[in-house]
Amino acid sequence: MFDFLVSALTFASLYGLMALGLNLQAGYGGLLNFGHIAFAGLGAYGTGIAVQAGYSPWLGMAFGVLLAMGLGGCVARLGRKLASDYWGIATLAIAEILRVVATNEGWLTGGAQGIGAIPTLFDGVAFLLMMLALLGIATLLCQRLADGRFGRALRLMREEPQLAACMGYDLTSLKSRAIMASAALTAIAGSLYAHFMSYVGPDYLLASETFLLWTMLMIGGLGNLRGVLLGVFLVQAAYSLVPFAKDYLGFDSDLAGALRLGLIGAILLACLMWRSEGLIPEKVRKIA
Amino acid sequence: MSTSREYLLSVQSVAKAFGGNQVLRDVSFNVQRGEIVGLLGPNGSGKSTLLNCITGFEAVDGGAIALGARRIERLQAHRIVRHGIARTFQLPSMPTKMSVIEVAMAACTRQHGVLATLLGLPALRRAEEQARAKAERLIDELLLSPVRDLPASALSGGQKKLLGIVCALMGEPELVLLDEPTAGVHPNLRRDLVEALKRLNAQGMTLVIVEHDMHFIRDVCSRCVVLDRGEIVASCRPDKLASNARVIQAYLGGRHSPQALEENAP
Repeated sequence: MFDFLVSALTFASLYGLMALGLNLQAGYGGLLNFGHIAFAGLGAYGTGIAVQAGYSPWLGMAFGVLLAMGLGGCVARLGRKLASDYWGIATLAIAEILRVVATNEGWLTGGAQGIGAIPTLFDGVAFLLMMLALLGIATLLCQRLADGRFGRALRLMREEPQLAACMGYDLTSLKSRAIMASAALTAIAGSLYAHFMSYVGPDYLLASETFLLWTMLMIGGLGNLRGVLLGVFLVQAAYSLVPFAKDYLGFDSDLAGALRLGLIGAILLACLMWRSEGLIPEKVRKIA
Repeated sequence: MSTSREYLLSVQSVAKAFGGNQVLRDVSFNVQRGEIVGLLGPNGSGKSTLLNCITGFEAVDGGAIALGARRIERLQAHRIVRHGIARTFQLPSMPTKMSVIEVAMAACTRQHGVLATLLGLPALRRAEEQARAKAERLIDELLLSPVRDLPASALSGGQKKLLGIVCALMGEPELVLLDEPTAGVHPNLRRDLVEALKRLNAQGMTLVIVEHDMHFIRDVCSRCVVLDRGEIVASCRPDKLASNARVIQAYLGGRHSPQALEENAP
């Protein structure tokens, strides 16, 4: 039971880091990135490939972060002429392309089998403590970014891009910096995910993972950190509770899997209907 | 361009068409440093398009625009702002999740990098404090203090215009283009606005104002440029407008007496 709780909380903090990353783009910048998981995937594969080649896993993490930031910069600049919804579709496509590449380039990525035997940095509780500390630091940094000048520029761009441009903000550069910062954070989370599972495979890049992160943000509240963390916690709790219910009520595993998704779908739907800005909506910031 | 050094803003033969509709044809005019120029014309005469072309929100089809000695007609909007031209919009729309003071502070665009914000260096904190003080002062000057902490989108149309002016002034531009600053603004406030604009002008700011209110034009502007169907038909002192035959024709379409223009002043 204890182990189960530790692992559930570790998953929650891993997803929490990725959700904070997505919130930097989607919450503050209003960027509909539907391929966000690509950044986590690059972080994970960076680590996996480095370990496989005999390099230090930290080097792998750094490599993955750089790759993700590079991809982020490219995505921001490639799509600068696209309207936000078309850009979102383009990001989805890019993540899918990466997944297909990861599945097929077996010499590099281990193909569908993925790369195993990635060292877990610490065991159980220590890993969880590290994750919680990281999540705390990331939350503080995101808070500072959001309330500071960069976040203010992003939030203005999200709501009134024309006004932001006529104040002298370079919107393309704002977007790409937001995406690159988000990519770095998400790639770190991806790399740690690979360590935690001691495995990386193409399933990490599934589009449904991105949508899971989006669900967390939409349930909790976009553009506000408490909301994001609450959303992560709720979705992760719903995921972890269903297996318990299964044992308790005695239905079979197939049904449990379907119930999991159904439960999260129901929560999302309820939020969209009654709390369209999430459980904790973004507030106007007070400036004393 | 030999003239570019003498003028702050110089617009030479600017043309712009949307599809088959020629909105601006061969528009040329200059603005001297320290002037307040009124840009007039009936609806659809191309005033806002001209403003958009000057500020880089629309690409010109032909012609040249210079700020001082610098050609700006091919620059992107945010670069033109950085060279010292600020503007407001006819129908400003403001963010829902940012307060009035925060929007005004956002207009201070220096040092907004990711790392600078993350590190929160002392220099940045000082700059932030300066931006806040300046925003407070301008908000106070344009009588927005009572709504300082409201979401900017909750303001009335007139107040949004004032906030737009606050934002334009935050960057201390050399030249400010105002698109109908008094439309929807309460008459008392309009008087304050006239005073504020004159004060800014006395401090060395050059203004170009698109406006329909003749009284405002007469109170504030030192010169008027009149557009009609994409062409400049007059450039004269405000008190000479009513006796200018082409201006009367532009506004009233036929042969009308100067009195008729006064009475029908748009």
